[in-house]
Amino acid sequence: MSKPAIICVDDESVVLNSLKIQLKNEFQDAYLYEFAESVEEALEIIGELQAEEISIVAIISDWLMPGTKGDEFLIHVHRKLPKVTKILLTGQANLEAIERASHQANLLCCIYKPWDGKELIETIKSGLEKS
Amino acid sequence: MEREQTDSYKGDILVVDDTPANLRLLVGLLTERGYKVRPIPNGKLALSAIRLSAPDLILLDIMMPEMNGYDVCERLKASDRTRDLPVIFISAIDEVLDKVKAFKIGGVDYITKPFQVEEVLARVETHLSLCRLQKSLQAKNRDLANTLQRLKATQEQLIESEKMAALGQLVAGIAHEINTPLGAIRSSVENIADFLKINLEQLPTFFQTLSLEHCQYFVTLLQRSERNYSLSSREKRQLKKALSRQLTSDNIADGDTISDTLVDMGIYDNITTFLPLLKDSENPIVLNMAYRFSSLRESTRTIMTATDRAAKVVFALKSYARQNTTDKKGMVNIIDGIETVLTLYQNQFKHGVEIVKNYTDLPPILCYYDELNQVWTNLVHNALQAMENKGTLTIEATRQEENVAIAIADSGTGIPPEIVPKIFEPFFTTKPPGEGSGLGLDIVKKIIDKHRGTIEVESIPGRTKFTVLIPITCQEDDERV
Repeated sequence: MSKPAIICVDDESVVLNSLKIQLKNEFQDAYLYEFAESVEEALEIIGELQAEEISIVAIISDWLMPGTKGDEFLIHVHRKLPKVTKILLTGQANLEAIERASHQANLLCCIYKPWDGKELIETIKSGLEKS
Repeated sequence: MEREQTDSYKGDILVVDDTPANLRLLVGLLTERGYKVRPIPNGKLALSAIRLSAPDLILLDIMMPEMNGYDVCERLKASDRTRDLPVIFISAIDEVLDKVKAFKIGGVDYITKPFQVEEVLARVETHLSLCRLQKSLQAKNRDLANTLQRLKATQEQLIESEKMAALGQLVAGIAHEINTPLGAIRSSVENIADFLKINLEQLPTFFQTLSLEHCQYFVTLLQRSERNYSLSSREKRQLKKALSRQLTSDNIADGDTISDTLVDMGIYDNITTFLPLLKDSENPIVLNMAYRFSSLRESTRTIMTATDRAAKVVFALKSYARQNTTDKKGMVNIIDGIETVLTLYQNQFKHGVEIVKNYTDLPPILCYYDELNQVWTNLVHNALQAMENKGTLTIEATRQEENVAIAIADSGTGIPPEIVPKIFEPFFTTKPPGEGSGLGLDIVKKIIDKHRGTIEVESIPGRTKFTVLIPITCQEDDERV
């Protein structure tokens, strides 16, 4: 049985790199970690994971990225994967977008950059417990 | 005017004559006509009386003992304070009047004794009114100069506030630009702190229990992971998959996890050297510790990259918001300025703007760098608004004979032909009241004029292009915008 996956989406590779170390430090090998530099890539990964019947448990997404924005992405994903824990991790607040994501994607939380590692981990854990 | 004047005031006249009879006659004559008259019997007293209070007109006898009229006049003309006081010389008709000399040393007129009353009055009145006119002209000039100065100051303020308004709109976006690297830095520091907390105490034991063979693997793993690789997330995923397949075919358990760790360390090819280690059941101890060390290095690398990113944004802000828009021109490369502006707008481009840059090498030019940055800011800002933050922004920098040519084009809706002639006019705006000052392009035009350059626009729906030409050898032109 494959490990469940956590997906991180951010157009900045420095953010992905540090998230990766943070997640691996905390959760070790308990999960499969996937990283995407754009929403398009994230959707590809989701497709592949689903094809391999790997369950996706959490998605952590930036909001402001070239192309599709984080809220649209999460809303889109929510239609197919309603149970997945969804978190926005953003450097700029767009209240409307956050509200949209809350209502239409059951957003767990919006965390602002620069973020506190413990807060992020605790948020992910609380999301994983719920689902 | 300095002196308080009433309607009855006709003028303050100083009469200088050493002959008491003449003095009495002139004083009587002029006082009767309503002038304020000060009688003075000699040249020296005349100078101190004038120093005390400057009259509007001086009637000055030429032939006087000690200091004659010419001497008095020359002294008056030598001082800035009294130079402009009109002097009418008085000369006896039997004296040899040197008219040429009288005019040369600064007299405005002369009258002869014995006096013709009407002539004296006519000459006095003429010069008083000339003097009044001149004074009023001077006052008007002063007023005009003041007004001009105020206008210039207001204009500078407008330019500055326009610049700051553009900056204000950018600030929200810039927060994102800085918070992103700050986020990476903070989490990297947390990662480093975690590493130290968890591993530091274990290290002595770890190294003591490490066999010689494992020790060599450990060192090799770290050496291999040292290279500074930069792979996209997509490339990493593909490498992981390939490596995982290879490991599985080599009968290594948990190939997924191992390949993930190795690729994160930057080790994805020539892994045959590590196969014995990976087949060893104790491999996770060595591999995981090597991974932690390499992620420590990765964290420091992230901090460096992120610090550079944040510094770049701050630098761009600093060069943009520099208050000092002084008269000093500097030799700079225009492309640096354009890049500064693009750095500040980076964040807004993420809403869906593709940037196409066609730069050729440009020579540095002598220009007002800050002000040109304002030009690029305005043009980029307008372009983004014209395409509602979605489309293609094309920036070309080329050399056209003796000019540098900067073209900024957007793929927006275009400018209707009927308003094209108006867009450079001050206060012309297509935005609702309160949203745009209508000064953006007017300021752009003025700044370019100051550089003796030109700006042109061509617009069709789907493509609007502003082209700015600036001469490479900018002639000296000290006039401020």
